[in-house]
Amino acid sequence: MSSVVSRGTRAPSLRLAIIFTTLVIAVAMSSLWGLSVGAFPLSFQVVINSLLDLDGPQQTYMVMVSRLPRLVLALLCGAALAISGVIIQGIVRNPLASPKIIGINSGAAFAVCLLLALLPQVALVHMPLIAALGGALAAFLVLVGAQFRGVSPLRLALVGVAVGMLFDSGVDFYLVANHSPEQAAPMVWLTGSLWARSWEHVDAVWALLCVLIIVGYGLTHQLDLIGLGDDMATSLGQRVALTRLLLLGIATLLASISVGVVGVLGFVGLMAPHMAAQLVGGRARVQLPCAALLGMLLVILADAVGRAIAPPIEVSAGVLTALFGAPFFVLLMLKNRGDLQQ
Amino acid sequence: MARASIKLLVLLGALLATAVLSLHVGGRADVGISQFFSLLSNSGERTLQELVMLDIRMPRTVVAILTGINLAIAGVILQAITRNALASPSILGINQGAALGMTLAVLLPSVFVVGVEAMAIIGALLAGTLTFGFSGGFRGSIRPLPLVLSGVAVGAFSFAMVRFTFTLDDEVARDVILWTTGDISGVRWHDTTALSLWAFGGILAAMLIAHKLNLLAMGEAAAQGVGADPRKTLLIGAVIAAGLTGVSVATAGPMAFVGLVVPHLCRIVVGADHRRLLPAAAVGGAVLLLFADGLSKLVVAPEEVPVGVIAALIGAPYFVYQALFSKELDL
Repeated sequence: MSSVVSRGTRAPSLRLAIIFTTLVIAVAMSSLWGLSVGAFPLSFQVVINSLLDLDGPQQTYMVMVSRLPRLVLALLCGAALAISGVIIQGIVRNPLASPKIIGINSGAAFAVCLLLALLPQVALVHMPLIAALGGALAAFLVLVGAQFRGVSPLRLALVGVAVGMLFDSGVDFYLVANHSPEQAAPMVWLTGSLWARSWEHVDAVWALLCVLIIVGYGLTHQLDLIGLGDDMATSLGQRVALTRLLLLGIATLLASISVGVVGVLGFVGLMAPHMAAQLVGGRARVQLPCAALLGMLLVILADAVGRAIAPPIEVSAGVLTALFGAPFFVLLMLKNRGDLQQ
Repeated sequence: MARASIKLLVLLGALLATAVLSLHVGGRADVGISQFFSLLSNSGERTLQELVMLDIRMPRTVVAILTGINLAIAGVILQAITRNALASPSILGINQGAALGMTLAVLLPSVFVVGVEAMAIIGALLAGTLTFGFSGGFRGSIRPLPLVLSGVAVGAFSFAMVRFTFTLDDEVARDVILWTTGDISGVRWHDTTALSLWAFGGILAAMLIAHKLNLLAMGEAAAQGVGADPRKTLLIGAVIAAGLTGVSVATAGPMAFVGLVVPHLCRIVVGADHRRLLPAAAVGGAVLLLFADGLSKLVVAPEEVPVGVIAALIGAPYFVYQALFSKELDL
């Protein structure tokens, strides 16, 4: 099953260095671009002046208050989704698995809707927690369901799709059953938009996400061992069930907290890990940071392109990731058809 | 035979009961089923309540019935020609493809001149073909998982396109969500023409190929053995299913799960013979949507919820159950 993710291949370190440097530069450049495009385009000069508080023309309010927080969120959530994808693909040993396919995104979105329906005045800081609970519930349902029927990766994907659709119909219900349009319209961010995200949202999640990302990186060795198969991992001294649970917990939290702040950015958690595996190979210690950078890049670009395409209208980043992600998913499926039909 | 007629009676009784429910409830509490009867007997000056019944309630109930019939028949046909228990318009992305075709026709009428319904049908056909092709359908047998995953991908892509197109046009995000969840609160009598023609033609055509569908269920090789051309059946079936789905989506928006749940439940009741399954599914689809329509007017009264959301809330748990317990999937 892990033929695409050929673990254990080692890319030469010079090549690695070049790839990582290029990616970091690409992320930086597209961040700068993301800060400059939108309903009111700014020149790079103005953006840099405002960021670094240099002399010359500045647009401090627009850059620092309106665009910088959504950039920071794009970076954090892109990385979180990508890492979540790497971990999930590793532990279920299924190249098609991703936070979306196993239902985490939908569960988190549903929980946020439920919270807003029951307690409309709830403080923003509780949002990530509730989202995480919903994501965990979905992941739990999917895993227990699949376990119950004997762990076949195919059954897992199928149950995941079904559970995801179940929660999605709940989200739809909330969105349309909401009486006042004023209350429901802002909920459109649930479909994956960084629109109107502020420093409050950043404050609510950055610490949590950073800790999770670091812990996730710390567990890459265990992830590699699990990729070898349960028997092998056990004989190498791993407590497989426990490690898998821990990793899955981290992946669930990463994905669902992102959903809690920016909505469902579909397919990022699927695309980034695969691109990373193509670039640097499947060893988790290098694949994970590479995927994180790619995830950042994807989300920043989706957000920036969505704003640049027809200002002043914004196309949701989630729409764009789905437009590119769905064909990617199909390609991946065609490539793995042999595995799926066995 | 006695048992068969009891089943028929039960189905028709359910149809009658849900039709009464759908007609009786609604935004105006002073309009109820009594207006329906007074309309029949009274030919003179009509009261306001009677007009509400005639121009708002009744077309809506008729659309619910017809959409239910169309989607259920489409589901039966799709399950037969793909020989796959999970096939249905929404899961194969056909619903979403029809929505995309329709969106393009609405927003760019000068480019896509063939009309809204035709575009919805073309979109449905295209999406179905893509899903079928991606899952390896043109190269032999189709396994359930690739079929579902292809459908999810094609559906996600089409829906992203729909939302993309709408965002570019205007800030109508909530309206888009409303429409994409299957809202029939605004339908009038003129919306029922195309639906009823397709429903009638669809049932007729499906009944004509019912025997062929039975043969197909035995496997393509067996079907060929008794002289049927499976590819012809497949093609005809696909066109009927796409047409039925497309015309329903054009009127009522994409409704999820009706085409999955109804054929399954009816198969449990009347068995797998398509000559009986098709009429049963037609009635069953109408019952499900009438019931959902009644509920959609009741759950958050006096507000209304799109009937498609209610149908999805009924259908999604069934899909989960199916994914967990179905033995036919042999995963």
